[in-house]
Amino acid sequence: MLTTTDVVGGYGSVQILNGVSLKVVRGQIVALLGGNGTGKSTMLKVLSGLIKPWRGSIVFDGERIDGMRPDRIVRRGLVQVTQGKEAYPAMTVEENLLLGAHVCTDRAARARGLARAYEYFPILKERRRQLSGTLSGGQLQMLCIGRGLMSEPKMMLLDEPSAALAPQLVLDIFRTIGRICRDGMTLLMVEQNVRMALLLAEYGYVIKDGVIHLEGPAEKMINDDAVRLSYLGGTVAGRDEKMAL
Amino acid sequence: MSYFIDLVVVGLSLGMVYALVALGISLIYSGLDVVHFAHGEIYMFGAVIGLFLYDEFHLPFPLVLLGSMILTGLLGVFIERVFYRRILRTGGGYTVAGLGMVICGFGMSIVLQNVAYLIWGPKARPFPVTFGMPVELGNITLPAAYVWIVLAALVLMAALHIFLKKTRLGLAVRAVAGNKEIAYLMGINVPLTISVIFGVACALGAAAGVLVAPINYVQVLMGTGVLIKAFAAAVIGGFGSLPGAVLGGLLVGVTESLGAGYLSGSYKDIYAFILLIFVLMVRPAGVFGVLVKVKA
Ligand SMILES: Nc1ncnc2c1ncn2[C@@H]1O[C@H](COP(=O)(O)OP(=O)(O)O)[C@@H](O)[C@H]1O
Ligand SMILES: [Mg+2]
Repeated sequence: MLTTTDVVGGYGSVQILNGVSLKVVRGQIVALLGGNGTGKSTMLKVLSGLIKPWRGSIVFDGERIDGMRPDRIVRRGLVQVTQGKEAYPAMTVEENLLLGAHVCTDRAARARGLARAYEYFPILKERRRQLSGTLSGGQLQMLCIGRGLMSEPKMMLLDEPSAALAPQLVLDIFRTIGRICRDGMTLLMVEQNVRMALLLAEYGYVIKDGVIHLEGPAEKMINDDAVRLSYLGGTVAGRDEKMAL
Repeated sequence: MSYFIDLVVVGLSLGMVYALVALGISLIYSGLDVVHFAHGEIYMFGAVIGLFLYDEFHLPFPLVLLGSMILTGLLGVFIERVFYRRILRTGGGYTVAGLGMVICGFGMSIVLQNVAYLIWGPKARPFPVTFGMPVELGNITLPAAYVWIVLAALVLMAALHIFLKKTRLGLAVRAVAGNKEIAYLMGINVPLTISVIFGVACALGAAAGVLVAPINYVQVLMGTGVLIKAFAAAVIGGFGSLPGAVLGGLLVGVTESLGAGYLSGSYKDIYAFILLIFVLMVRPAGVFGVLVKVKA
């Protein structure tokens, strides 16, 4: 579904990505992990077109998308949900959601999108007339994911969906992400919550110094000594945690 | 008493004209983060194009208004695409590049004045449209031109409101005004939307020019005074706020009219600024403004 080869890029003259190659298979959740400031968000911005890559190729659904304008990439079915829960605070929840369906000119598709977002996140339906500036952090994250779903994309890029959420909400969000994937979505997910991300994902990449440092099936990674020591605090994943998802 | 009401009504209709220009300035500011100093000339071009449509094709006034709005809107899109975009690409707002845009706006204002001068000459020309009998409301009589201004401006403001609140493109305009990166990620064609914002703002300015033309003359320099008052109106209402632009425009219009009627007509142009200073003393961010910029 998505293949990047030796993607190099950064901000201004500062190079952040030094050749990132990764692959996301259709219908899977792939986790992109790594320490703070290693370039995970930068990579997602390159994929969604917010930053133009300097070198390398990005092929999405059989088509080169590197260097394309972000709105064109959205039209091709690749949507990014940014880090930091960025909604429009002075618009209502429903207006925010409808913005996500901007590329759908067809009324029926917009209504379908709304129904789907409300089905995954019923609280948004209750709050639909409220300004999004009044939502809590968890609700805001739901709004951003729901908004990403509105254009019925083929694949979503999630940037730290569980960041700064209460533990119970973290579980909720991960469960819903799992459900979204089972309903046919392909996902590339950046996470700080490495354990949860690997429990949910099929495959994982660890980025370090702007290159892929480690990769492998999530099952293997979660028990891998290197990953455990640097990112999981040396503990072994519990079976009941997996059950919870 | 009826003298007072007359003055208020005249003030309100002039205020509508300021409000339309201020709406355009605020729209451009909220969408592009720049203050457009050539907007007075857009207003002048609206009047001039309106007069041209009236003279050449003898169109009825509503069609003159609409035609001038469309043509001036397209002129605005052209100016934005060809000239401003290159400067805006390097950044706007409070950066040094934003200052470049301010200077470019002043330059454009001079260019547009000279273009109009070359085509139409310096002479003030009348706009000889007749609106029929004055309108009688109780014991006051109003020239129909004033009623036209108020009605047309109200219709345009309502249309703008519906456009921004109810349409897909209007929602995109608000999104681009709020945050361009997120707007891009919504699949919005941001450069095109910026052109739409500019076009709509210029069409509103043109409408103001056409509406005022029958009670004033049409001339090349008509934009400068209006720009400054519309600017005062926008600041009074809270810069970047659309309801603020309307309220500010009406306040400026009424203050000016009452001042001219009761105090002295020859100081007509300073009342707006006395009001501006007063409002900024009481509420530094303007009536609907917030000091920290929160948009969309
Ligand atoms: N807009 C920006 N301009 C310049 N440098 C940036 C910008 N955003 C992030 N960076 C830098 O790029 C590096 C990678 O950032 P990022 O991709 O956000 O990391 P993370 O992996 O935590 O998401 C960091 O060193 C950060 O300081
Ligand atoms: Mg990040």
